[in-house]
Amino acid sequence: MSPSRTDGSCKLFRAIATDLHFWIPLTVLLGGLVLLDKLH
Amino acid sequence: MQAAPPAQPPVHLGPMHATRLRSLQALGVFCGFAAGAWLGGAEAPIKLVSPDISPITVSLIMVCGVFLARWSVPALVRGTSHVRSDVRQAPHLVIWAVLAGCMWAVANTLTIYAIRDVGLSIAFPLWNTNSLLGILWGFLLFNELHYAGWKRWLGVVGGAVSMFGGATLLAIASSHQAAPGKATLGVLAALGAGILWGTMYIPYRKAYLTGMNPLSFITFFTVGELVTMTVLAVGYRGATPLWHELVSARPVLFWLMLGGFVWVIGDLFQQYATKYVGISRGIPLSNTNQLWGMLWGILVFHELQGGGHTVYAQVVGGSILMALGAVAIALSSATAREHSSWQDAAHREGKRYGVEAEYVRAGMEGRAYGSSPTSRTLLDWLLILGTTGLFIALAALARLPHMGISTGWAVALTLAMLSLLATCGIALWRTTRFR
Repeated sequence: MSPSRTDGSCKLFRAIATDLHFWIPLTVLLGGLVLLDKLH
Repeated sequence: MQAAPPAQPPVHLGPMHATRLRSLQALGVFCGFAAGAWLGGAEAPIKLVSPDISPITVSLIMVCGVFLARWSVPALVRGTSHVRSDVRQAPHLVIWAVLAGCMWAVANTLTIYAIRDVGLSIAFPLWNTNSLLGILWGFLLFNELHYAGWKRWLGVVGGAVSMFGGATLLAIASSHQAAPGKATLGVLAALGAGILWGTMYIPYRKAYLTGMNPLSFITFFTVGELVTMTVLAVGYRGATPLWHELVSARPVLFWLMLGGFVWVIGDLFQQYATKYVGISRGIPLSNTNQLWGMLWGILVFHELQGGGHTVYAQVVGGSILMALGAVAIALSSATAREHSSWQDAAHREGKRYGVEAEYVRAGMEGRAYGSSPTSRTLLDWLLILGTTGLFIALAALARLPHMGISTGWAVALTLAMLSLLATCGIALWRTTRFR
């Protein structure tokens, strides 16, 4: 992968990781998986 | 956590022309109603399947049909080269789409446990709260219903609450045979499914505010769906027992995958509804699927035959409440002022992820962006022909179970769905060219 592309990916992941909106569904998903495990 | 985004070129979105805004709002509402019909109709093929097959396996087979449809329908409608050009503009949405797909699969599996433990009458209204949560997220995160005025607030929230009440009555009426079991866990499972589905609309709205085409979003969404569902099915059933169950389910593979295919058409309309009227209005409108599911159950599968007056009163009352709620929401479309606050949210998203302003604007207005490929590639034809061939092969293996089905009503409801598909499809084509 070229340096500019790596840089672009890093920027992209940083933008997602610092977006509060991303952590809301991710937390809910993890909660759902825990619940599913308990039900099973 | 909402840290300053990396520096990006500024995005400026001006107000949309009033006539265009009105036609897109009307289109979104129409898509919401078409979504309800197709999502509800997806239940019909599943009713033909014997209850001997485990619900997880049923879910997995349906998701396989969903996966095929989510790739072949976009290939047929616009060609997959559009997907590539969308991803180049907004690559972050691939991650959002996969996340949403994972959420859908977990929520769907939770509903299986919810129905098992508390029955449909309790479970369905609980997970139907997803639309209320969708309104909350739409308001808090995406500026929906801002500057909407009390009449529109009343229309949307009152309509969603009325639909919730209607859903409760319909669910009670349709599930008089369900046996309640482990109540607390069942209630938690149903609420969990509602929370997952309600929160899943955050990625949806994120995608459509940034200008992504629904036909592109669903192709990545389904990767999350299929991978999660496969992991859950293998984890819960074990690889070998699962394989044996899949092999023994050959006669019903077609019906389940057809259910998945029909469901995708409904979901696609739901995605367009979300795009053009937002999650606070699009999701409750799509929830009219329960009315259609009920129509299929009563008219085609004779589900409430022999039911008392109370059951029929619940069905009529629930249906009226749902219809009134849907009409209230449909009449509460966004004003120009509210829409400008959606554009502020789109501005914020474009800035954070470095998406070109014109791409975001074109997406919100359902217009073309740049020069887009027009012809279909070899991959598109392979997807279309491969999926068609597989469905023909499975149809040849399929067996129709011996059960009392009213063919006349089945044809009538199918025609109603097809006419909605045609009219809404033509409206989408004329107004946005499926953008």
